[in-house]
Amino acid sequence: MRIVGVWIIIGIFGSLNVYPQSADTIKSISLSEVVISESYQARNEKKSALSIDKVQKDFLEKHFTGNLVQTIENIPGIQSMDIGMGFSKPMIRGLGFNRIAVSENGIKQEGQQWGADHGLEIDAFDVEDIRILKGPASLLYGSDGMGGVIEIRSADMPAGNCFLGELSLLGKSVNGTLGASLKLALKKNRWMFKIRYSEQQFGDYHVPTDTVVYLTQRLPIYGKKLKNTAGFERDANCLVNYHFKNYQSNYALSNAYQKVGFFAGAHGIPDLSRLQDDGDERNIELPFSKVNHFKASTHQQFSLDGIIYSADLGYQYNHREEWSSFHTHYTNQPAPLVDPNRELAFRLHTGSASLKVRLLSSTSWEHMLGGDLQLQKNTIAGYSFLLPAYTRITLGGYYLATWHLSDQWTFTGGIRYDWGKINISAYQDPYLSTYLHEQGYSDDLVASYRWRSYPVNKTFGDYSCSAGMIWTPTERHLLKFNIGRSFRLPGPNELASNGVHHGTFRHEQGDASLNSERGWQADLSYQYKYGILELSLSPFISSYDNYIYLKPTGEWSVLPHAGQIYRYSGTSALFAGGELGVSIKISDKLKYTLNGEYVYTYNREDRTALSYSPPVTLRNVLLWQEKNWQFYCESQSIASQSRVARNEEKTSGTNLFHFGGSFHFEIGRVELKANIALRNLLNTRYYNHLSFYRKIEVPEPGRNIQISINVPFKIKLK
Amino acid sequence: MKKSILYSTAVFMAVCALSLFSACSDDNADVTKPVINLIEPAEGDELLIGSSTGIHFEMDLSDDVMLASYKIEIHNNFDNHSHGTTKAGETTTPFSFNKTYDISGQKNAHIHHHEILIPATATPGKYHLMIYCTDSSGNESYVARSIVFSTTAEEDHDHSH
Repeated sequence: MRIVGVWIIIGIFGSLNVYPQSADTIKSISLSEVVISESYQARNEKKSALSIDKVQKDFLEKHFTGNLVQTIENIPGIQSMDIGMGFSKPMIRGLGFNRIAVSENGIKQEGQQWGADHGLEIDAFDVEDIRILKGPASLLYGSDGMGGVIEIRSADMPAGNCFLGELSLLGKSVNGTLGASLKLALKKNRWMFKIRYSEQQFGDYHVPTDTVVYLTQRLPIYGKKLKNTAGFERDANCLVNYHFKNYQSNYALSNAYQKVGFFAGAHGIPDLSRLQDDGDERNIELPFSKVNHFKASTHQQFSLDGIIYSADLGYQYNHREEWSSFHTHYTNQPAPLVDPNRELAFRLHTGSASLKVRLLSSTSWEHMLGGDLQLQKNTIAGYSFLLPAYTRITLGGYYLATWHLSDQWTFTGGIRYDWGKINISAYQDPYLSTYLHEQGYSDDLVASYRWRSYPVNKTFGDYSCSAGMIWTPTERHLLKFNIGRSFRLPGPNELASNGVHHGTFRHEQGDASLNSERGWQADLSYQYKYGILELSLSPFISSYDNYIYLKPTGEWSVLPHAGQIYRYSGTSALFAGGELGVSIKISDKLKYTLNGEYVYTYNREDRTALSYSPPVTLRNVLLWQEKNWQFYCESQSIASQSRVARNEEKTSGTNLFHFGGSFHFEIGRVELKANIALRNLLNTRYYNHLSFYRKIEVPEPGRNIQISINVPFKIKLK
Repeated sequence: MKKSILYSTAVFMAVCALSLFSACSDDNADVTKPVINLIEPAEGDELLIGSSTGIHFEMDLSDDVMLASYKIEIHNNFDNHSHGTTKAGETTTPFSFNKTYDISGQKNAHIHHHEILIPATATPGKYHLMIYCTDSSGNESYVARSIVFSTTAEEDHDHSH
């Protein structure tokens, strides 16, 4: 019996790096009874009372798109907010931006995730293992984990000494993508070294339309290609692993660079002259965005007498710029002497440290104590202004406990407190005040607009907690329930911004008096597996008492190019919905899968939906599997979204058809894996409610044929 | 096909209804935007600098519940939002206009006035005309027009109105 307990403990503490210690832990246990241990899968599912999706390499390969977020969008409950084909940001159950966290190798990714035109800066080729927690995860991840976490975990170390690698190639017809990635790794006794280099180049993407209607103007799309949406991505990383007895460490360095053009119609009032075909579908002209994300991190772990001590240290530097031909509404504003077309620049430095102590001494109880520290400094540049410079420090401490009452019952619980301090620099716009004086506005009014950002110096403190249970009455059933309270610190844009956002044409105004966002979330997750049937159902409901959103105030802004003022305000909000998955093995070779997701959002104050509510989506997949190949056909139904926030457009639904197959060859001693996908077979014109280009009526990409090839190799060494 | 989608959606929604027990609250708030039908000036119109009659401005506004306010804004588009700095002539100044009007209490409004005067000192060139309209709930719509100010345009070319 006891060995089952040990396995469960290992499972529950199971951040990947713990596994090598299992041998040491087991040593001290006498094997007096013979028991059948649970499957690896079952242990994993008992790790957390939250709904967990594990995404493994075969899924990632099969759905590989070169864009990580567009790949995991295939998981029910995960949505992708796209900015064309290049950038995408993830969303979990309708929560995006700073409301979810992405972590890689134990370090929380920190970019400009507050921004609508920001994308996740992670090399999609390098991701082999993901764990997605849906629901309140701020207990583990602090403020940003409110809606869930996407954990990207480092791949397993190979067992024996070897030299291994992988060459991956990617091609897409919809935008002429050519991508390649090479991984080389060496495992020698206690050490492992890994390097990877990836590059992707892509052109303007095809849309199944000749015109888009924007601001009552019909704009032509020449050659069915969305001009200036080309881009490229260049990523490199290396990882060193050391493991000896009960000490383990890794050191990771990575750099991701992306440059992607913006459709000219998306910046400023579209002008027909800028939409003319320039005859080159691979050039990146103004306006464009570029971002570089550098990351260095280390994980250190030491285990002694059933206690695991671990530390994660990281430094990240996110440097993002938007370039657009110099333009101003203020006649007295000259173009900058250096980089005259650099509209916005953000340089965000983040240092983070976390410590954990895990007690594994008892078979029925386990405890974890942890602390996190994060320091941030953001500086800005450019001829325009959107977000102020700021520094931020957050500090959190938590305690988690798990109690295995029996093989069938496990209870979890925890509490966390976070403290944060943000110091936002003031920003004055001298050209704006001159302009307003010229317009004849009073001194009082000019004084209130002159500050593009107010100085804000605020501290926040709030707690998170959760309690959950996992019940496995028999092997067929798994039931999880979790209730948690989570919170989020308001971002600098929500506290101190004041000006016209060039992407939304809205005068957005922060409110320095905002409190942190708080909510209670309840999640249920049920899985049933028997014979040919697998069923999973995960409903949730969340209620927030200070959900921060951009509220239309009805007050006119005096700024040029702006309508009414939108002010960040707190409201009481409700989220509810869930995911459904049914999988039936019709025969040995034929499998049917149905996946669906639904999110309901409600702003209790405005009595409307919240913006960016994902529409109901259903995927029906038929899969035919042979030994060396498989083939699938998929019908994806996206319902219309008519529940919108004030001043958000409704989006009609669509049906899409996709086909694809995977093939596995061995030519001599070379192994080759190929994936072919035909997306949007009928070249259907449709819109993504969550897309950045949705508001300028740009449809989603048309028919796309995509091929990816993987050639792995492994040479055993002595 | 459509029926099966509807059916499976209905089943799925029924399942989710479990978590929606409190979600059936009042959800009939007004999210319909007001409608702007801008008649004059038209896209690409040339308007005479220094004209004594003012810009012929005419539009229809309507909302399904209640209108609140509208705003007329004119700013220069000399750089085409794409290159170079704006250059004011030696004796002219770029024209700009920014005014809000209260139309609360009405569902439909016909607006017709000549109160936007382009002074003789205004810089000729391309301008943007923006019309914003809000309803009583804060729903907002807007239209953008490209217009040209010139010293050679016809004097009030649409007298027929």
